[in-house]
Amino acid sequence: MHRRQFLALTGAAFALPSLPLHAATTPSDTLLTWYKLVLELVRHTATYSPPVAARAFGYMGIAAYESLASATNARSLAGQINGLTALPPRPAGAYDESLVLHAVLSEAVETFFGNTGPTGQRAMAAMRDKLGAKLSQGVADDIAARSAAYGLAVAQHIEDYSKSDGGHDVQNMGFPMQWTLQKGPEYWVPTSLIVQQQAPLLPEWGTNRPFAMPVGAPCPAGDPPAYSEDPASEFYKQAIEVYETSKTLTDDQKAIARFWSDDPMLSPTPPGHWVSITLQILHRDGTDALHAADALARLGMGINDAFIACWSDKIHYNRLRPVTYIKRVIDKTWEPLLITPPFAEYPSGHSTQSGAAASVLAQVFGQGFAFDDATHADDGIAPRHYADFNAAAQEAAISRLYGGIHFRAANENGLRQGAEVGSYINALKTLA
Amino acid sequence: MKYLALGLLLLPAAAVAETAAPLVPSFTEQTATAGVRQIYAGDWEYMVGGGVSTFDCNADARPDLIIAGGTNPAKLFVNQSTPGGDLAFTEAQSGVEQTGVLGAYPIDIDSDGVPDIVLLRQGENQVMRGLGNCKFEPANAAWGLDGGNAWSAAFAATWEKGQSWPTLAIGNYIDVTQDMFPWGSCTDNWLHRPDGDKFAAPTPLKPSFCALSMLFSDWNRSGTPSLRVANDREYYKGGQEQLWHVEPGQDPRLYTEAEGWKRLRIWGMGLASYDLNFDGYPEYFVTSMADNKLQTMANPETKSATFKDVAFAKGAIAQRPYTGTDLNPSTGWHAQFEDVNNDGLADLFIAKGNVDAMPDFALKDPNNLLLQRPDGTFQEAGDRAGVAATGLSRGAALADLNADGLMDLVVVNRREPVQIWRNTTKSANHWLTLTLTQPAPNTDAIGAWVEVKMHGHTQRREITIGGGQAGGNLGAVHFGLGDQQQAEVRVIWPDGSEGAWQMLTADAAYRLQKP
Repeated sequence: MHRRQFLALTGAAFALPSLPLHAATTPSDTLLTWYKLVLELVRHTATYSPPVAARAFGYMGIAAYESLASATNARSLAGQINGLTALPPRPAGAYDESLVLHAVLSEAVETFFGNTGPTGQRAMAAMRDKLGAKLSQGVADDIAARSAAYGLAVAQHIEDYSKSDGGHDVQNMGFPMQWTLQKGPEYWVPTSLIVQQQAPLLPEWGTNRPFAMPVGAPCPAGDPPAYSEDPASEFYKQAIEVYETSKTLTDDQKAIARFWSDDPMLSPTPPGHWVSITLQILHRDGTDALHAADALARLGMGINDAFIACWSDKIHYNRLRPVTYIKRVIDKTWEPLLITPPFAEYPSGHSTQSGAAASVLAQVFGQGFAFDDATHADDGIAPRHYADFNAAAQEAAISRLYGGIHFRAANENGLRQGAEVGSYINALKTLA
Repeated sequence: MKYLALGLLLLPAAAVAETAAPLVPSFTEQTATAGVRQIYAGDWEYMVGGGVSTFDCNADARPDLIIAGGTNPAKLFVNQSTPGGDLAFTEAQSGVEQTGVLGAYPIDIDSDGVPDIVLLRQGENQVMRGLGNCKFEPANAAWGLDGGNAWSAAFAATWEKGQSWPTLAIGNYIDVTQDMFPWGSCTDNWLHRPDGDKFAAPTPLKPSFCALSMLFSDWNRSGTPSLRVANDREYYKGGQEQLWHVEPGQDPRLYTEAEGWKRLRIWGMGLASYDLNFDGYPEYFVTSMADNKLQTMANPETKSATFKDVAFAKGAIAQRPYTGTDLNPSTGWHAQFEDVNNDGLADLFIAKGNVDAMPDFALKDPNNLLLQRPDGTFQEAGDRAGVAATGLSRGAALADLNADGLMDLVVVNRREPVQIWRNTTKSANHWLTLTLTQPAPNTDAIGAWVEVKMHGHTQRREITIGGGQAGGNLGAVHFGLGDQQQAEVRVIWPDGSEGAWQMLTADAAYRLQKP
């Protein structure tokens, strides 16, 4: 088997998370190595709140998939997803698929993470130069040049495509400079002592163009329980559930809350968590590059669309967080286990995107697909085992209740909303 | 500056109304004429650091300067300013002219009354023995200091009880060899404890989380300072801000949740401390990006190690530029509390500047001068005071450089010349400058507390070495007195002994000697 043979089922010699460069020789290795860097860039670039990260994952995945699909009979996403026109044709001649991927990903990473700090810039340059030099060894100059040019053309096409989706320009980390709070006891109020977070994160995000979900018709989560301070009301009952649960949290429940906390700047964020899960599986199973890119593209599109759907509802309902309600109505001294995110409560973003991710990944890898999740191993958090993707999504959703940052309805309806988003992704035709 | 004899008077009862609007000081930039020419240079390996320290290296009672240069040699500037005159310095060949220096902290390690210097370096750290008259010689070998080979960016020092030699804490940053995946590569910090009159092999402070500022401070007035560490979340994994027990004869250990410590994860970059609310316990300001913290003890009655953030309530967040059109979030570095208008309330200077060219953060980020109001809140005055410079500032020092009782300002900028301002405030407010000395060891009384009685409250400040951004002050401490023409002063010395209250006449510098 030639080391560059496309679709080779390589037993990738590198291990997440260490990823020694010398072992990155196959297209699949190249893909996973770049994604490993992307997870770090998401964590260490201030713009990358969860919705913004999900968007980058979507475009990165599409770029990688399209660059490889053109060498096979796999179907392009052009014409299937909103606004994507036909990709540049692949000129005749021989290609090195690792160099194609290297070119497309180095360009895409620079595009979508161009605002990272000096350390990220240094890391991107080192990856581009060192991995590029490694992959070019033994490859004829004309093949190397043709591969690089084609990868660049694909990446630039995707970059142009991305600029019109409404999420291209994020300022002030996504927080509006000015914001007028809606008046009424049921509405969101800031919960943070950070000045920037006195306005909600990305209030316009719900109007972005999705990939596969119909434009302008995001999947609704459905109404939450009506706001009430009556102890007999459903809303009060759900608040009491958060409050009482916080008082009796078991060590396992605390561990679950923290495992799925996925705080921006301190983790790869919730969408990055699901990308990490997928990378671990792809690495474990030695999945070929095309199938890996397909999985990452589907996942990226799914979580992006999930955040759009979710954010549309967040701004629509503009619901207050548990910490606000509980302090006002139940116990003014109460504090949740987790840091309350700086935006409206309903539905739960993590739940929605986890519902979408589980739906998409179950379609890619199959139902009942068990896996271990070591996303936070570097942070000293032990891996967790899941019987299938849905089990992981369910745990991610309930973790927000354990953490005291969401009511039950936001989690459960968010999961359903995500699953509906996932169905649009699952309807896309890619691999034969 | 001339030190005056101490007076022994009783404090008369007095009450002076406090005004709500603080006096805005005036600073006059004298960069072009002061003779301080230095540029903190270098690429990625010098994105942090850039410290400046003030200390008297030639026993003339005027603070001299040592300024890091990064890839340029560090420089020492001897103070030639005349009392009340313009700022004037002369560059001197001192022995500290090494490259790779991120910061410098003066400290009299061997307690001979002549200050020594610790140079924090990209590479081997260096202790420099003071020879007098602003001359220094390398002393790693003589004093047994293992300078290591790391990216050292933070420093703090204390004298542990029973020791004749100090304990040095050195904070280290990223493993510079990791170019593609530097995140999570924080080098261990080191605790250099004494072995008689030299240093023992360093103790690694595990875990370490890319420290950018350290400070030994007696946060609970136990008599034994703890080590507060500000850590940069950009690079650690599984990390947080830290508070270490450093107790004589025992291994260092972290404060735990059971002791009240609450996990805080920020871009911790610079530390400053001061007892702002006159309760006897220091508040801590921690610089970060977009979100600075002002921490106060949450439960003074129990003295649990829980701190609450009051930056928002006190108007001390300084999260984004207050001048210009660039409203992206700020990046804070050096922080220092000093009373710049002598009204008896500590004010806060914050050096600001983008890490390099991060578009998510302000590129034109003015330094802050937050004036404290009588109600404990802060009001921005950097632009009105004339210090709202927008270079890529890093280290800074507020010190009375020309012995006029007004705190002047030096700011180190990345890749641009150091700037220096003379405080030219016209004010009737009064002041005191106090320099502590005690018999060896620990001649500068590090760990002492100085108390100055004001109308209805007592100003207190702890004598420390550490904090800030890669630099600090050794020697005189300054108090504004408002309209008080005299004040009762006492020292609680590092051994816990309490000096007598002494009435000091305002507008003078005093040396307070432990009997």
